[in-house]
Amino acid sequence: MANIEDLIESLARDAAPVKPAPHPLTLSLTWVAGAALYLVLSLWLSGLRPDLLQKLHQPWFLAEAAALALLFIATALSAAVLAFPDLHQMRKTAWAPAGLFALFIAIVVFAWRADLPPAPLPAHSFECTVSITLFSLLPAAWTFFSMRKFASTHYRWAGCVALLSAFSVGALWLRLHESTDSIVHVIQWHYLPMLGIGLIGWWLGKTLLKW
Amino acid sequence: MTVKAENLEALMKLSLDGDQRAYALLLQETARLLRPFLTKRLNAGCEVDDLLQEILLSIHKARHTYDGERPYLPWAYAIAKFRLQDHWRAHYADHLHHAVELSEVENDLAEPVTESAISYESISGEVQKLPPKQAAILQMIHQEGYTAKEVAEKIGMKESAVKVAAHRAYKILRKILER
Repeated sequence: MANIEDLIESLARDAAPVKPAPHPLTLSLTWVAGAALYLVLSLWLSGLRPDLLQKLHQPWFLAEAAALALLFIATALSAAVLAFPDLHQMRKTAWAPAGLFALFIAIVVFAWRADLPPAPLPAHSFECTVSITLFSLLPAAWTFFSMRKFASTHYRWAGCVALLSAFSVGALWLRLHESTDSIVHVIQWHYLPMLGIGLIGWWLGKTLLKW
Repeated sequence: MTVKAENLEALMKLSLDGDQRAYALLLQETARLLRPFLTKRLNAGCEVDDLLQEILLSIHKARHTYDGERPYLPWAYAIAKFRLQDHWRAHYADHLHHAVELSEVENDLAEPVTESAISYESISGEVQKLPPKQAAILQMIHQEGYTAKEVAEKIGMKESAVKVAAHRAYKILRKILER
């Protein structure tokens, strides 16, 4: 008991003024704005797919891109909430990506069924996964760096969601840049690797966000 | 002195502004609230104190994640639960690390561990060199005459755990005495 009193006394002596962390909405908005800027710059440098205007008139492509953008926003918000020990008492917000993932999967499945006759597979394959991963490195590093300043009590989930957020920006970039019509290719090399990315994020969260 | 829950938020706000008295009062109140929470979940009193200190340090480290606008207690308990889970994880990992195969001790579990061919006095020097828990168990069994069940009750362990600890101690002693 005496030790506790001593500890409290010593902690109180160290109690310099502290600037409270930003609200998760502000934090996620910063991440989303930063990643959006990065996406626009990258598209400006790498170029938009030539048939983008035409593709935007296709409902399933539009729905897929919109769901991906929403997924990115929801995962960024969830990661921001998960960075706080008490989830900023916004537990339901932390679960926001779950519903959007379900919606995204449904859209991709419908897009796959609507792909009749199936578009030919492109010559390349894993290069897409590598490109998305490389593109995602910068937003992922930024998100993890920011999150380390907080105190996550759900560090595995936080890592998983943060990496999925970065990867969804990458997936969106490639979808707007690369002229690939084959939904089978897109599922196989753009979206399925998200499962592995989630697991890597889980591990990274444990390694980098533990405090 | 107890502080009303709604005042904890005010105290934390003052603490974030650097008010040392408010912070000390807040930590004292937090410790007072967390102690029964930990006592319910942990066996030994020393474990409660250690963990409570760890939680207070974590609260100090993470205080910037609290803005004074939302209830304080859910925030503090979230940190407490997190550290408690960490403690359990470490505790069970340690137990697994030191686990003994059941087949290794199943014969001994049936045997009366309180009876031994060697007198305790003749090996008490060696016993003192054992890990403190094992030494204490052997001392209680062989010097003070307690049964394994009584020892278990006295030190808050399961009877089988006392027998396993005694078995481990005998193994170490056997090795030493065979040299």
